[in-house]
Amino acid sequence: MNRRDFIRKLGTAAAGVAAFSCTDRDEATRVVPPSGGVSHFDLKWGKAPCRYCGTGCGVEVGVRDGKIAAVRGDPASPVNRGLLCVKGYHLPGLLYGGDRLLHPMRREAGGKGFSKISWDDALDLVAGRFAEALQNHGPEAVAVYGSGQWTVFDGYAALKWVKAGLRSNNLEANARICMASAVSGFMTQFQSDEPMGCYEDLDVADDFVLWGNNMAEMHPVLFSRILEHKRRNRGVRIIDIATRRTPTTEYADTYVEIRPGTDLALANGILFLLLRDGKIDQAFIDENVCFKRGIEDAKTIGYGCYGDQADRYLFEDAPRDASLDEVRAQLEEYAPKKVSEITGVSPSHIEALAEVYGNLVRGTVSLWCMGVNQHTRGTWMNNLINDIHLITGKIARPGNNPLSLTGQPSACGTVREVGTLSNRLPADMVVTNEEHRAKAEKIWKVPTGTIPAKPGPHTVDMFRALARGDIKVIWIQVTNPWVSLPNLSRIARKPGGPFVIVSDIYPTPTTDAADLILPSAAWVEREGIFGNTERRTQHWEKMVDPPGEAREDALQIIQVAQRMGMGSLFPPPEGDWHKSLYEEYRSFTLGTGKDLASYDELLGTRGMVWPVVGGKQTRYRYAAGHDPYVKKAKGVHFYKAKGYGEKAAFWFRPYHAPAEVPDAEFPFWLSTGRVLEHWHTGSMTRRVKELHQAVPAAYVEVNRVDAQELGLQSGDLVRVESRRGGIELPAKVDGRGKTPRGSLFVPFFDEKKLVNLATLDAMDSISKEPDFKKCAVRIRKV
Amino acid sequence: MRRRCVISRDEISRGVISFGVISLGLPLLAACSKDDAVPPRPKVGASGGTASAARAARRAYDGAPPVIPHGPFGASCTSCHGQWSLEVEGMGPSPPSPHGEGAGSMAYSRCEQCHVHRETEQLFAPSLFRGLTQDFRRGKRQHPLAPPVIPHQDLLRENCAACHTGPQARREIVCTHPERVRCGQCHVSVAENTEFMR
Repeated sequence: MNRRDFIRKLGTAAAGVAAFSCTDRDEATRVVPPSGGVSHFDLKWGKAPCRYCGTGCGVEVGVRDGKIAAVRGDPASPVNRGLLCVKGYHLPGLLYGGDRLLHPMRREAGGKGFSKISWDDALDLVAGRFAEALQNHGPEAVAVYGSGQWTVFDGYAALKWVKAGLRSNNLEANARICMASAVSGFMTQFQSDEPMGCYEDLDVADDFVLWGNNMAEMHPVLFSRILEHKRRNRGVRIIDIATRRTPTTEYADTYVEIRPGTDLALANGILFLLLRDGKIDQAFIDENVCFKRGIEDAKTIGYGCYGDQADRYLFEDAPRDASLDEVRAQLEEYAPKKVSEITGVSPSHIEALAEVYGNLVRGTVSLWCMGVNQHTRGTWMNNLINDIHLITGKIARPGNNPLSLTGQPSACGTVREVGTLSNRLPADMVVTNEEHRAKAEKIWKVPTGTIPAKPGPHTVDMFRALARGDIKVIWIQVTNPWVSLPNLSRIARKPGGPFVIVSDIYPTPTTDAADLILPSAAWVEREGIFGNTERRTQHWEKMVDPPGEAREDALQIIQVAQRMGMGSLFPPPEGDWHKSLYEEYRSFTLGTGKDLASYDELLGTRGMVWPVVGGKQTRYRYAAGHDPYVKKAKGVHFYKAKGYGEKAAFWFRPYHAPAEVPDAEFPFWLSTGRVLEHWHTGSMTRRVKELHQAVPAAYVEVNRVDAQELGLQSGDLVRVESRRGGIELPAKVDGRGKTPRGSLFVPFFDEKKLVNLATLDAMDSISKEPDFKKCAVRIRKV
Repeated sequence: MRRRCVISRDEISRGVISFGVISLGLPLLAACSKDDAVPPRPKVGASGGTASAARAARRAYDGAPPVIPHGPFGASCTSCHGQWSLEVEGMGPSPPSPHGEGAGSMAYSRCEQCHVHRETEQLFAPSLFRGLTQDFRRGKRQHPLAPPVIPHQDLLRENCAACHTGPQARREIVCTHPERVRCGQCHVSVAENTEFMR
């Protein structure tokens, strides 16, 4: 022991004596029960992003005796600056539900019940089933369905195994039903996915226009950030465009109620007024914008759920060049009076919205999430919001941006950036592009022609193919499709059908449908990387051991690949494989404008916002002075849009009616969504005592006047049913959300009240994202 | 530092009490409409244990935001939980908000972002979670007359008076000198449990 060690130990001992001196202990015992004694300083603290939504709040995780005992908001995180929401504060509980899956379980012969098997047997079974399906039916008979909750490691392992190992493009993730319309919106306009702005926009903008976005419940910490900005700066305004009043509305300066599915008309109405009144930035347009049109006939496009499209929805748009004059002529159809008739929004409100966007002195940020994305014309609606920002030049500048919000912690980092979708490869590349396939094959060191050029089915078609029996084996990880997909009765699991493998942490209706259940490690039970809404990549270390025999999802995939003779695709799983796997993935991004931070850079930071070049983050993409790929002295440069002459594309997109509208038989609109306390299908948050006890079951929000006419009071049991199916649940009149007359709202977290039995599997024509927000139902008292 | 005001629950529910409100906390509280079931009877202090035990029962772990131990009243949270404590008839004193507004902090205006009601006592599945328990040790003093250091994290607990003064303060942590309002002048937080070494 040297002098310094001796002094340190002496000091520690002295401190311990002081902390537990007789005087202090006696006093404490006298005034309070002596059941305490452990302080925050006795915990070992580590950093991690939150496990839930796409905000990516920084969390400090306190560990004691190998278990998480507490969390606190990370004051050093630039995302949340120490604040969390109620889900975040109760993160530890998600790991400690008493019914965690602890061992691999195989369905017993005869169909009912599961029995424990070893990991070796389970992995052999997975490998054998995939090999058998490949051999007998080809690469279109296998499928992997993952998640925006996959870490980057998980998603990249799945991508490489499926596309380079199985030589299949049958890889999808639940971000298809969540964010795909935002992806196709950005891709069709900027030829690169993900926003150009960042959360700092929330601190500096003057006006926030929320398009169908209940931020107070779905992105509460970001909403707090806006509220703080608003409190400090008089004149900051929130405009809430929505189909029902929500907690967000309570804080809005203006509430614009709109009929479901008519937002396309409203956005076009705003564009019409901006052009009519000359409230555009012509110099910006001349320098940075080109004009496009696509197929606009509603019958040709369809909705993905009727006729031939009910089995496979294969529509593809056909872009063509257009001009500002052509667009201006098309927009003549969207004068305020006509838009008001379609949308129910008053002409004065339409004019006011155009004033907000058309005031080129004030900064404007548009925010949206599922209201715009889960939409039969979701890509179009994304296009129109981006159009408004393009035509006014309110883009890629602090406080002026369209900012699509994400619902899952790594919908961006994993699904969108790694590319775990049937048509994609990392860093904006697609399987239909020969050069892109060649680049991937080179990095992966696999022969040319390994990756198929034909995309696999999108999510809804994948599960339709599973129901038909065209897919023989599917591996589902970190998601709960038998709760979250629309029109669930269409994809009900039949005995003796395809072989279904599910990796998860708790029993769910999806594990109920499985033939083999694999227990997964969750969140800080393993090392991970997530990427959030604002392009921030965040790393965390493993902090506690997973329970039982649970393993991380990426490791499960690598071990199956080994058994199928594809082990050379991955670093040896016995060693420290995380860094080398991530660095291989990162090599896809370097030099592309989507450059990720290195593994080592991520270790010591609260995440880094890409592109990261020379160790520097980029807050504003495409912006001179911010983005290292922009060489101009000022202004913007949409350098990723090579196919458009490095300009962004303005798309004219007309109004189309929704796929299903209320009628005499089914006279009510049904919209579905989330609540603050529960995250998506509730498989984690319902295991957290405080969250479950706050909202223990789903309900249906009913308008007060409708309730009076139906003879309903809060708490009455009602049946809500569509042409596809229905559920019974209690009515709630004027709850936290208030629906307008003729509209109902049901949260989808409750596996015992499956509202997706009633929803319609109509989809966006381009992104193939389902529309969970609009279908026709009837309601009656039970 | 102390201001006492006795109000009745009826007054609260009629919404006649209105203090300088940072912002609204209405949405969830407003869930109590005429059509709704009668809100559960408030359970403030009804745990039967000490104040410390009641405090712990409302938190998943020490440092977690407490759940709301009473039913909705149909009024803003800050009507009772503002800067000062109020004595509510039949319920006792209401704790003020401990959240300060330091530089860089966010507006803590949407109380329901972190604090939720209990609609049921049932569980969806049993939980094995055992959270950090409250630290009952007192803050260390360098010598008997020295001011103690702050023995807990102070993030979101910037308003010391909320817990250490007023009728709602637990007996064992009542401040003896509430007239001195700048607590940080003498009491410091502990950033980490190490000692300086060159």
